[in-house]
Amino acid sequence: MKVIPIYIEAGISGFESPAAEYKELGLSLDSLLIQNPNATFIGIAKGQSMQGIGIFDGDILIVDRSATVNQHDIIVANFNGCFSCKFLDKKLAQLISASPLHKPVQISPEDEFQIEGVVTRSVRLHRPAPELLSCML
Amino acid sequence: MYALVDAVSYYASAEKVFDPSIRNKPVVVLTNNDGIICAVDPIARKLGIPKFIPYFKIKNFLEKNNVVIRSSNYELYADLSDKMMNVISRFCDNQYVYSIDESFLYFKNYNYLIKDWHTYGHEIRKTVWRETRLPVGVGFGTTPTLSKAANHAAKKLSGYNGVAVINDDKSRKEILSRMSVTDVWGIGSKLGKRLNIQGINNAWELANQDPKSMRKQFSVVVERTVNELNGITCLNWDDIRQSKKEIFSTRSFGQRVTDYNALKAALTSHASIVGRKVRHQQSLIKRLLIFASSSPHDENYYKKSLIYEFTVPTDNTCKIAAGVSHVFNNIYLSGVNYYRCGVGAIELVDSKFQQHDLFIKDDNNPNLMSCYDRINNRYGNGLIEVAAAGQAKKWEMRRNFLSPSFTSKWSDLPKIVC
Repeated sequence: MKVIPIYIEAGISGFESPAAEYKELGLSLDSLLIQNPNATFIGIAKGQSMQGIGIFDGDILIVDRSATVNQHDIIVANFNGCFSCKFLDKKLAQLISASPLHKPVQISPEDEFQIEGVVTRSVRLHRPAPELLSCML
Repeated sequence: MYALVDAVSYYASAEKVFDPSIRNKPVVVLTNNDGIICAVDPIARKLGIPKFIPYFKIKNFLEKNNVVIRSSNYELYADLSDKMMNVISRFCDNQYVYSIDESFLYFKNYNYLIKDWHTYGHEIRKTVWRETRLPVGVGFGTTPTLSKAANHAAKKLSGYNGVAVINDDKSRKEILSRMSVTDVWGIGSKLGKRLNIQGINNAWELANQDPKSMRKQFSVVVERTVNELNGITCLNWDDIRQSKKEIFSTRSFGQRVTDYNALKAALTSHASIVGRKVRHQQSLIKRLLIFASSSPHDENYYKKSLIYEFTVPTDNTCKIAAGVSHVFNNIYLSGVNYYRCGVGAIELVDSKFQQHDLFIKDDNNPNLMSCYDRINNRYGNGLIEVAAAGQAKKWEMRRNFLSPSFTSKWSDLPKIVC
């Protein structure tokens, strides 16, 4: 027969935290910023044309493909083979910038145009994130 | 009712999701090491580019036609696949993910809820496209095999726009009689040829055979297929999941290998991949095939393959690696420019029903292997490895046309012009 010795301990156990009963899940930025994770993608803003609405070069854009597009929403579109972020004027079929330096762009039938999704959030990094440094070039 | 939902030329379509500049261009995707074309998108298909042709043979043609070429970006495909499957799962409470781009749905007692399967199929297609930008085809059928046939029709036959339904004899006959027998799920080209000899050329003709006599002449699998084509469900998720009968790990080298140790390291590392897969499906290896070759396009084509038999079936990576070592000197020939090598478990037994030998001690050490697997699962494959495989990995995959990992690396985020 094998005998496994187990020693009785008289150790220090301390007191259970009085807050243990009240512990909740920590806050998650993902769940705050992303409503439909399967239909959402993250991109990085390049350019100054949306500064008027507070989207600056290097900001993180969260794009929801499942959201309904309303008049004057900020959207990402595939415009002639390039992801572009603009206001959409559905009635006039125009892409509008948030900057006096950029005129509205008329979407004509010859253009390749698909709405990719709605920009539901944008995130500014006030100190640079090392992971993103190579995107800033 | 069953449905099979799968993506249209998945790898090529996945490449288009985050690269709008190639949405309207012909795209092909190359396999590991950029050897062979493994995905051709519908636009490239119209140019007559076949699948499974070596890239170098068609390189000039691709260039002339401005075809976009991409290496396999598995990181991207895995991520987009998860998202696609999640979106599809919203449409049914019983989903079985069959491969990276295919999933079965089983609609039990849905007949009161869904009035029109066509409409429902189009809704699935529209939603998946909208939320993931991946095109899918949807086939409905009263058995898994019929849903697979309907899926084939949805994508390949004229008159079906991405959705097809087999729910009565008329639709069943219409689709099956337009399908060649080799397009039936489970009928390979070899079996197809034998059926052709008997005058069975299309799926409808196969469906009209006597199941019992099919079993006698071929196998129980063919009997089941015939039953399934007649609306009698024989398969369930467990059958579909069936363990693999053979497990291979092979790869062509990024750069030719001539060195003794480098080839041995490559083979050992294949042995370790095979070991991991074998343990995953709870099998043991009885016979192992080990091979190495130069390229068949070389002048003095050299190929040598040997079989190693284990006295005690094993799933222990060290033992498999030792098996490779044992035969290696008979495979290696100095002076050969090795292009490809690999290891395959060609005879497997179930580890649960293993008959132990009375005289030989079983020293497979499952505890060591489960520890090994757990460490590698947690910290990434290759963190611990048998020493013989730990050589410099200059034979790692060649991926010269790799797209960015848009969804899994911060440095590769898609750029959006403002």
